Amino acid sequence: MEKINKIKEEVLELINNSNEMELLQQLKIKFLGKKGQIQELMSEMKSLSNDEKPKFGQMVNELKQEVTKIIEEKVKELEAIELIKKLEREKIDVTLPSYKQVIGTTHPLMNIKKEIEDLFIGLGYTVAEGPEVEYDLYNFERANIPADHPARDMQDTFYINPEVLLRTHTTAIQTRELEKANGKLPIKVICPGKVYRRDDDDATHSHQFMQAEGLVVAENITLADLKGTLQFLADAMFGKGRKLRFRPSYFQFTEPSVEIDVSCHICGGKGCSVCKNTGYIEILGAGMVHPNVLEMAGFDSTKCSGFAFGIGLERVAMLKYGIDDIRNFYTNDVRFLKTFDRFD
Amino acid sequence: MKISYNWLKEYIDLDGISPETLATKLTESGLEIEEVKPIAKGNNLVIAEVKDVKPHPDSDHLNVVVVNYGEGDVQIVCGAKNIYDAKKVIVAKVGAVLPEITIKVGKIRGVESNGMICSLFELGVDKKYLSEEQCNGIEILNDNALIGEDPLKYLGLDDVVLDASQTPNRADCMAMWSVAKEVGAVLRRKANLPDMKNSYSALKSSLTVESGTKNCPLFLGKIIKNVQVKKSPKWMVDYLRSAGIKSINNVVDISNFVMLETGQPLHFYDADKISQKIIRVVDDIEGNIVALDGIEYPIQKGDIAITNEGNIIGIAGVIGGDTSKIDENTKSIIIEAAMFNHVSIRNTANRLGIMTEASSRFIKGIEPLGQQKAIDRATDLLIELADASGIEETIQYGENNYKPTVVVETLTHCNKHLGTNYSIEEVVSVLKALDLDVSVENEKFTCVIPSYRTDLKIPEDLDEEIIRLIGYDSLNATLPTMVATIGQLDEKQKLERLTKSVMTSLGLSEIVTYSLVKEEYVNNSVLPFGKHIKLASPLSDDRKFVRNNLMPSILECVSYNSNRKATNINLFEISNVYEEDCMQTRLGIVLTDNLQYSKLHNVKISSDYYSLKGIIETYLKKIGIDDNRYTIEKNDVDLINFHPYRSAKIKIQDKMIGVFGEIHPLISKKWNLDRVLYAEIRLDLLNEIKTSKTKFVPIDKYPSVSRDIAIVIDRDLEVEKVIKVINSNSGKLVKSLEIFDVYTGEHIETNKKSIALRIVYQSKDKTLTESEVSEVHSNILAKLEEKLNAILRS
Repeated sequence: MEKINKIKEEVLELINNSNEMELLQQLKIKFLGKKGQIQELMSEMKSLSNDEKPKFGQMVNELKQEVTKIIEEKVKELEAIELIKKLEREKIDVTLPSYKQVIGTTHPLMNIKKEIEDLFIGLGYTVAEGPEVEYDLYNFERANIPADHPARDMQDTFYINPEVLLRTHTTAIQTRELEKANGKLPIKVICPGKVYRRDDDDATHSHQFMQAEGLVVAENITLADLKGTLQFLADAMFGKGRKLRFRPSYFQFTEPSVEIDVSCHICGGKGCSVCKNTGYIEILGAGMVHPNVLEMAGFDSTKCSGFAFGIGLERVAMLKYGIDDIRNFYTNDVRFLKTFDRFD
Repeated sequence: MKISYNWLKEYIDLDGISPETLATKLTESGLEIEEVKPIAKGNNLVIAEVKDVKPHPDSDHLNVVVVNYGEGDVQIVCGAKNIYDAKKVIVAKVGAVLPEITIKVGKIRGVESNGMICSLFELGVDKKYLSEEQCNGIEILNDNALIGEDPLKYLGLDDVVLDASQTPNRADCMAMWSVAKEVGAVLRRKANLPDMKNSYSALKSSLTVESGTKNCPLFLGKIIKNVQVKKSPKWMVDYLRSAGIKSINNVVDISNFVMLETGQPLHFYDADKISQKIIRVVDDIEGNIVALDGIEYPIQKGDIAITNEGNIIGIAGVIGGDTSKIDENTKSIIIEAAMFNHVSIRNTANRLGIMTEASSRFIKGIEPLGQQKAIDRATDLLIELADASGIEETIQYGENNYKPTVVVETLTHCNKHLGTNYSIEEVVSVLKALDLDVSVENEKFTCVIPSYRTDLKIPEDLDEEIIRLIGYDSLNATLPTMVATIGQLDEKQKLERLTKSVMTSLGLSEIVTYSLVKEEYVNNSVLPFGKHIKLASPLSDDRKFVRNNLMPSILECVSYNSNRKATNINLFEISNVYEEDCMQTRLGIVLTDNLQYSKLHNVKISSDYYSLKGIIETYLKKIGIDDNRYTIEKNDVDLINFHPYRSAKIKIQDKMIGVFGEIHPLISKKWNLDRVLYAEIRLDLLNEIKTSKTKFVPIDKYPSVSRDIAIVIDRDLEVEKVIKVINSNSGKLVKSLEIFDVYTGEHIETNKKSIALRIVYQSKDKTLTESEVSEVHSNILAKLEEKLNAILRS
């Protein structure tokens, strides 16, 4: 009996003093192993009387259980300490710069193109593009621009030969779409693309630029429908609640023709440097498709009507992103492109 | 066109309409006013008398001046030298706001100054109208100027100019009389134009006019024998100045003034400098002419020239000749009022680089009845202001076949076209305000169009007049009512969008470069396909051809960025390229340095052949073209642009989809670049290829077994061949194959290489036993040895 108590005391002291896992393992063997001290106690049982045996056995078992429990608890305690230490060793500087996986950017002009396309797809339009190397026929003749018109001058247009040129406006896509419809209505199409004019490049001019034009032809299309449609466009491009201002203008392709100003998205119409203190930004050209254009494409202009509008993508991008030089779009400086490193 | 507010007031009551209000109203109704500019600016200005001038005690160039403008003596410090010559001057009182300065009480070098004595230049008058003395010194007024009065009014500088930018269809707004009509219609006030007097009895004409060209179908001429050349009256000088024309003398001024009034350019010749009074218009003469501006211009066939006895005396519609110009000794004149073809005038003016008030009017188009109007008006003014007498009758070459245009429109069509709900009264009142002769029959209105409104031809033209004058504010915003349509992209547009999204997610940025390039860029192009397209009228040699490939444009962009110290330039562009009668859509990809890189975090995916190949293969997979659909083979098509041993071509069936790889060192050197990876891919062809459909395959249920082997094969043997042998002898049990090492060097013969592979075996139907795997594996090894002489490395 004494021996049991002695072992118990010894164990408790040893365990309490051992702060290393290895030491604990040794103690486990020393006390609980096959040749350990507790097992040794069991072998002493033989020498006891039959009356004493059950009690002694019970006591040894209890000792065994208690020691096991104490060691287990100590192991857990040590493991917890160990883990804390391990975690501490794994400490990193969370403020160190991260590694940023490179995701490429899309070109700002293409972003605007996509925005416009998606808006009109949502309104039931299809998207048409057409060739940039174009026949004079589609670019001018069918757009109601007569042969002696200044726009058809070699001064302003890149001709390849008398019949072929680089399209000067995306109206060329519209005239193709009108022909392609082959008299079938309705036509609802948005026509984005690159166009070319014989201009010297400077901060506001580019011999190559992008336009998007829209065309709707059906029965009973009105100028008021144009206004409603462009309200959608203005709200989508420059934020809800834009005001539209129609001003009479002149384009060969349309009659009546209008220029459309949108209330300034920067100052909300109060006047600022972007809108040159007018509260409005000149942004769209539009009108009702000229009867000649419809007739040339084989439509009866007394039975249908249509509206058309056009917008310069560079102009929109310049206003939206605050870009002051059109050449930026075509120089593709990577520092410029990086500006568009976000989805918006 | 510069519209003088004061001049306009001669024709129309502008009471209550400020220049700014007028500008807004005109702009809103279609005549855009770009600028409202007073001839001179400044308030609190008075005419003052100079009472005393003394040198400034503390300055050698300033003077202390005492002036009086009716409010007692006022002391002003003045720096102008000509102050000593002045009796009456312009004083800007304290509080005056001038273009550059606001006047305050101040001390100049210790002497109090209560205002400023002004030059006209300081009041914002354009230098063009000022003499050198006027620019450098204060304005000295005549003795008769009344002190205390407004000096700008006294000088006729109280005008405001509205700078109008008329649309091409409104060439009539290049004439003050038409502008007055337009203003009248906008304001709904009546414009009263001067009457023609014709108060002379004409002499028989001694002039002959004729034309040898259809580009001058009408020519009116008239001789006026006695004119007095002198200064123009002040009002005319002022109006001309407001219109941007400097006064010369009364006769020359009348020709300009009448052009501004009517829009019809006139030319006056000194009749005494033309011996034979026969004027002939031709367009087949060559020679030189010294024009009114003193410059000699070459005339070639096609230019319309005014000739006399075979000599060129004027460039028709552009500028007159020096030899017959009006001067102070001119006694009798020949007036020319003609119709010239606008295209011909445009060509001549553009070629010679002279845009005059006359030529710009001819180019924009003149009124069919303008010639007679202008010649009559000029005659009236010459009688009135140049004491003209001895007036011959007007003679004419050609017929004027003008007939008024009649346009018929209905109220229903008008409202249907515009989406409005106007009444017949509203519509008719607008048309009448425009001086159209309207007759109404139920809802039909028939309009006779005035001769100067050549732009009104069809009913829709009337619709525009109606809405622009009623105002676009009246227009509602509606959406088209029509059958529903499906909005969507076509297949090619979808492919382009997908391509962009794959490329950007792989770290490449999109660029847009110019389509027009120099000749060098179209020669030796990547994937050549036809005859180059050359512009007939290029702006420069650098932009002379329509590009037929993307590589040079993209490399130019890389080079630009590299020169600015950018690294890891990884870009793509999608664009059409052209050759004669053919268009392709291509994707160009360029990689430099690394695709992903961080020294700090030890990340590096370098831009090399294999990473480019990976981009292409990932891309093809993403657009639905599985790897069994295409082949990547050694490049044997373009050894000029690409490294002959580090490039490949992509083929689908027999179609060449693209080439890619390292660009040839000679090309990269040309662009001053190191190693550059480039791919050019035919998107138009990819769009034609049927893509694989997404189909679910059940996930493997049974475990896999993998075996690693290393084999030694010939150094030149392509690994693809090894893969093919393994796959064709796999007994359908090879699930995947990974090559994890290629080694040449020590322990390997110099003409050999070692390939390390991991073969993963797996069955769809059961768990494979060791012996089943071994059987297939041994067979593969045997076949590799048999077919490729591959030796298993121990």
